[in-house]
Amino acid sequence: MLLDFHKLGAWKWLLSGICALMTLFLLMPILFIIALSFGDSRWLIFPPPGWTLKWYEELFADPRWIGAALTSAKIATIVMVLSVALGLLVSLALVRGKFRGRAVLRAFFLTPMVLPVIIVAVALYAAFLRLGLNGTLVGFVIAHLIVALPFSVITISGALETFDPAIEDAAILCGASPWEARFRVTLPAISHGLFSAAIFSFLISWDEVVLAIFMASPGLQTLPVKVWTTLRQDLTPVIAAASTLLVVLTVLLMIVAALIRKGKSR
Amino acid sequence: MTTPYLHINGIRKVFGEVVATDHVELSIAEGEFMTFLGPSGSGKSTTLYILAGFQDPSAGDITIRGKSILSTPSHKRNIGMVFQRYTLFPHLSVGENVAFPLRVRRMGKSEVDARVKRALKLVRLEGFEDRMPAKMSGGQQQRVALARALVYDPPVLLMDEPLSALDKKLREEIQFEIRRIHQETGVTILYVTHDQEEALRLSDRIAIFNKGKIEQVGTGPELYANPATHFVADFIGDSAFLAGELASVSGERAALRFADGTTVAAVPLHGSGRAGQAAELMLRPERIELATEPGPEGASLPVTVEDMTFLGNNTTLAARTPWGAALSVRLNFGHPLAANVARGDRLHIRWSPEAAHAFVRG
Repeated sequence: MLLDFHKLGAWKWLLSGICALMTLFLLMPILFIIALSFGDSRWLIFPPPGWTLKWYEELFADPRWIGAALTSAKIATIVMVLSVALGLLVSLALVRGKFRGRAVLRAFFLTPMVLPVIIVAVALYAAFLRLGLNGTLVGFVIAHLIVALPFSVITISGALETFDPAIEDAAILCGASPWEARFRVTLPAISHGLFSAAIFSFLISWDEVVLAIFMASPGLQTLPVKVWTTLRQDLTPVIAAASTLLVVLTVLLMIVAALIRKGKSR
Repeated sequence: MTTPYLHINGIRKVFGEVVATDHVELSIAEGEFMTFLGPSGSGKSTTLYILAGFQDPSAGDITIRGKSILSTPSHKRNIGMVFQRYTLFPHLSVGENVAFPLRVRRMGKSEVDARVKRALKLVRLEGFEDRMPAKMSGGQQQRVALARALVYDPPVLLMDEPLSALDKKLREEIQFEIRRIHQETGVTILYVTHDQEEALRLSDRIAIFNKGKIEQVGTGPELYANPATHFVADFIGDSAFLAGELASVSGERAALRFADGTTVAAVPLHGSGRAGQAAELMLRPERIELATEPGPEGASLPVTVEDMTFLGNNTTLAARTPWGAALSVRLNFGHPLAANVARGDRLHIRWSPEAAHAFVRG
């Protein structure tokens, strides 16, 4: 190969250096916020003069933070379940169906990915105003489902495309009814796609902030919204602690997703 | 005649404007190995899919032991099938793949274990129970698929070009296995292929499909020695065809005249024809003899040698008839002429009259 890494000579060191700097650049804010969450300065001095866990104690003692986290988890879980269920049905239609306009429909299902989120947010806000859904759990779920569904459709159709329908036919000739074949063969065979879709859907809802700000009410807000509003009132290291917890959960789920992908290719 | 074991009765399948199979009629005996042979799009696979229940025929019926199976859905037909593509369940081990048909039949654990073991032994894959399909070669996967299709003792096993994805050597190896398994189990097999060698090697009888219809049914030797149509003659074995016209017809024999006026006499004629109709003379290469003198009874033609190719057990000559048609002639190793034939030699090909066939064109 023309650009074989091992044949680059001195360039090799330069490229490695650039890579390291890029990684650091991307990780810096996260490392910064994690350090601050354990620092004992109320004024977010960096580097922290000493270390403490008191911001975490404060975080867990405050029912508003806990409430926001539970709301986030609840919304993300519902979004995850609906996104996978709807994503599976949509993917079945897009991959197995033979009808006119299939390609157009597929592109249509992916538009929320490319549409600016703020436009979706404003449109939903206006629509929900009439329906009275702003500030409700249903409103949150619908808003997040709109942005999560394209990811479900992509991952599940991807898994379904690599699954030969003849395998389902084989199961049916083996004596399984069509529904039994789908539940005992097709679904387990594409389970890696379903799991990935579930994790991505959960994460998208879990750290989504634009739509959530529009949907939130004083009584119902998600963790990112709580971070946002707290930040505007007073700058406390509790925000850093909350952010760290958000990051930790996200990273954990990403690791699970990566393991599932690895397990599939094994 | 008693009721046949499996009877395909006038099956017709139309997709929109296209007739996929047209009045397919076939009786298969219990334990028979029947092959559907034909080019792609000839209706052989469609017939198999109708048997499997994946497609419904537009007309006709299929019976097993006199009972129609068409109203029974696929999963209750109790038919085994091996597909062209690899269809093992990717998330299940080999053992669980083979156990699947038994599990959906709610069979007891000890019975399942015993049958899985027996089926894997049959395809010579003992001890592979815990292997995942992705870790196996194509040939092994098709053998597992065969075990899975046989583990519930289906009365009929369908095989849809199961070896077409494998390389030649492996294909021959598994053909041998399939033969052995057919003999050991006595299961009735319907096998679809477009490979004539595979069909000849495996089958008790072969049904030749062309354009949605069965052209001829018979054992390999029957089809080879006595092809009913031009298509069958062309599809089974490689033959030389020489185009001409019927000079005269008397009963089942005809004389053919070629472009330059050369005639050959007393050729068995397939189908009916009148003098003046376009026809073709078919000769099997191994029935042609090369000689320096013309043969008796007009069963010979003069040829000019154009090229020779030594192929080990034979020397193949490219020859040309006086009116310019090309044909190839094989000389077995050791044939007296093989050593001293040269380009431009004028020789004669001869055959015994019943070894030639005449087919009316059109």
